[in-house]
Amino acid sequence: MTVFDLALRSMRQNVKQYYLYFFALIFSMSLFFVFASLQHDTQVQRLLESSVNFSAAFQSAAVLLVVIIGIFTMSSNRIFLRRRSREIGLYQLIGLSKGWAARYLLMENLLLGLGALFAGILCGALISRLFVLILLELLHLDGMPAIDFSLPAAIETTFVFILVAVITSVQIITMIYRSTLLHLFQADRQPDLSSQSPTILTAIYAVLGIVLIGYGYELSGRMVDEQLVMNALLVMAATITGTYILFRVTIRWCFTWLRRRKNGHLGLYNSLSLAPLMHRMKGNANSLTLITVLSALTITLVTMAYSFYYSAEQDTRMAIPYDFTFENNPQDAQAFTADLESSGIPFKHYTVEAVRTTGVIHNPLDPADSREGSLLWLPAEQLQRAGGQLSVPAFGEAVEYDAWAQNAYDDIDLSGRYPTLIDLQSESQTKSYVLKELKVENLVNFDISGKQLAVSEATLDEIARRMSGTEHFEKVQIAAYLISDQAELALASSLYEKYRPDQYTATDFYSSYQTTLQTSGLLIFIAAFLGLSFLASTGSILYFKQMTEAEQEKQSFRTLRQLGFDEKMIMKGIMRKQMVVFLLPLCIGMLHSFFAVRAASFMIISDITIPTIISVGVYAAIYILFALFTLGYYRQVVNKALLL
Amino acid sequence: MKESNEQETVLHARNVHKTYGSKGGAQQVLKGIDLRVLRKEFVGIMGPSGSGKTTLLNVLATIDRASDGAIFIDNEDISTMSSAALSAFRRNKLGFIFQDYNLLDTLTVKENILLPLSLGKISKQRAEREFTAIAEVLGIRDLAHKYPYEISGGQKQRTAAGRALIHQPSIVFADEPTGALDSKSASSLLSVMDEVNRNRGVTIIMVTHDPVASSYCNRVVFLKDGKIYSELYRGEKSRQSFFKDIIDVQAVLGGDHIDGI
Repeated sequence: MTVFDLALRSMRQNVKQYYLYFFALIFSMSLFFVFASLQHDTQVQRLLESSVNFSAAFQSAAVLLVVIIGIFTMSSNRIFLRRRSREIGLYQLIGLSKGWAARYLLMENLLLGLGALFAGILCGALISRLFVLILLELLHLDGMPAIDFSLPAAIETTFVFILVAVITSVQIITMIYRSTLLHLFQADRQPDLSSQSPTILTAIYAVLGIVLIGYGYELSGRMVDEQLVMNALLVMAATITGTYILFRVTIRWCFTWLRRRKNGHLGLYNSLSLAPLMHRMKGNANSLTLITVLSALTITLVTMAYSFYYSAEQDTRMAIPYDFTFENNPQDAQAFTADLESSGIPFKHYTVEAVRTTGVIHNPLDPADSREGSLLWLPAEQLQRAGGQLSVPAFGEAVEYDAWAQNAYDDIDLSGRYPTLIDLQSESQTKSYVLKELKVENLVNFDISGKQLAVSEATLDEIARRMSGTEHFEKVQIAAYLISDQAELALASSLYEKYRPDQYTATDFYSSYQTTLQTSGLLIFIAAFLGLSFLASTGSILYFKQMTEAEQEKQSFRTLRQLGFDEKMIMKGIMRKQMVVFLLPLCIGMLHSFFAVRAASFMIISDITIPTIISVGVYAAIYILFALFTLGYYRQVVNKALLL
Repeated sequence: MKESNEQETVLHARNVHKTYGSKGGAQQVLKGIDLRVLRKEFVGIMGPSGSGKTTLLNVLATIDRASDGAIFIDNEDISTMSSAALSAFRRNKLGFIFQDYNLLDTLTVKENILLPLSLGKISKQRAEREFTAIAEVLGIRDLAHKYPYEISGGQKQRTAAGRALIHQPSIVFADEPTGALDSKSASSLLSVMDEVNRNRGVTIIMVTHDPVASSYCNRVVFLKDGKIYSELYRGEKSRQSFFKDIIDVQAVLGGDHIDGI
């Protein structure tokens, strides 16, 4: 019998053993194929050509996807190999050489991989159509997708497969040549059972883990300055290292302490949770850290993307409060009014008389840092009449409005900069006005230049009187339009197109909103796609690991059943263990992402509590599904434990 | 001790049958066993391989169910109990010692021994007293915080014995308890079992193929082909002469007592 025959035969017989690894491979392959098909889809490609950001996002997502596929197949291959180590040992015990065993496993791995490749491409081809539909729906583009089987995608997937095959083959070869026979026969029952008491050093390490994470969190709150990239790297390094130490040392330390306090009176539930957890913490630290970090990454990614999408309208509205504006251009405004009327579009039209000057805004935190710039003085009373939600400042006082204020300065907390003074220099003297506070929104559309300052009409009159004749003084007449019927916005926007001062950037609400929606739609699609892959990988890794542990603990379950503990009692203890195994990485990951989202939230103007809760909720719900699968598997094992 | 107490029946098996497999290839392992065990007895069950001794023990110990017949322990009919009730029954009334110890390897000696008390309503103080007393008898007090992999086979089996005794069961079932031990550890374990049987009045039913082990018993039941072949009572005999009697029966019984040696 050739090696090939044997491999084929053992595959047929061991489908049950293999199906998890096989499933993992198929899943990875089809995932990548779908992604590659999307990238090569003509319709999507047209989108990609339209924006550099789109293709960049797609490309970095593809890299991330390959990385996660690599990590995932490596972890599952390692678990799979460990489960079969006894079998591999047996081959060598009956006199087959290591070289033979390696050839046999490589052959089998290749066959499995090829099978998974074809199955993956097939599955991928079937579902990629669905994904394009979702994508177009998210981007609010009409038209049925005509996605055919994509050959380039299949070729790219094959490349990824070769990469995976090489990695797993190297893993197999090193595993076979490195391990001794004894190793192979003991690999499946090796909890770390050292009973030495924790030393001072362990305590220091245990605290260090928490300190590192705390430092990462603290730094993340103030990392947005000139050294953003450096800080971000530092935050990631600190939290990831801290998480690893937390799992490897800190939690084990807590468990040891807890257990010591029990002084032998551990009870059934702790015997099934605390004790095995404690002994496996060291070996599981790697995968738990990986899962925590991936969870944090996924939650952050999905939350941010969803928040962008969710707040697209509100964010755009904050930057562009009026559907259309004209600045000092009464002819165009009049023509546009006529266009709207002739098309029968109902609208409201306002005119706001403002002035533009230069002035200096002081920074109370740093007297040297006062900024001179163009200021747009807006009459609050007129804006109120034009539908603006604002109160009229007292005489001599101004309120700054800036939708993008959080991006304007290096520090996130801007409260220290207000109240402050604005100096206006006319020929003879300087007069100061009080700048009371900052509101994070715009009063008029962002394309009307100058820092937007709301003042009372009386103040405005005084400024106009005093400043007229200075170099940069300018009267600004703003014609603002609000379309009453949202359904007519698209038509109105197309009418406005010919008056657009700048052909490249859209300045009206509708066009901006559409652009934002498309970008964020693509973003959320990529994030959801990656998130789903990450989630499936982390969930599967945990599931595989727990399956193996369940097999290893079978004898314990049997003993417990013989001693008269019934299935329900044992499951209660196991449930406790699974709570820790699944919820610990989830909770720590959520905490990590909470700080990450907080640090990144300056990119979004609107409040993102609701999208955050929704995306975290969805993530947690799918994640918990894996925990339920695992519990189901344990129940099976416990159920069968008493059968001899 | 009163005579009446001595005669109280703790286990009564009536016409117990056990058949494995379906009708076509059914294999009858137990063919009508009648057995009565009195409180404070130390009963050995012997027989050649395949005679059904382990099956009998499993059936008596409620781990397996009889195909036919009735078994009473403490006057409760265990053959009609639900599996949940059986679990509770095992937990509260029975103790077990297995050939390969079956200790939980992630638990220390003390944790292993205290395990059967975990869902009961025994106070921590009482459990602690109970543990100290038993560990003292078994000579494993100093090992309380060691893990199974750190101690010898004999010590492991004593730990298992401690676990079987801690909750003061009505009967302790031992399945080849000395099977994996060297002769010195075996005899020291048997002495401890003998002592526990005498001083604490624990009823023990032990399956073994080792005549030395069974010579510690009050009575030895011989099985052959799923039936009781004969019984030997030790009475006032010395252990040595009881041992000789056992050897004699075994010789007549034929079969192979080589199976584990």
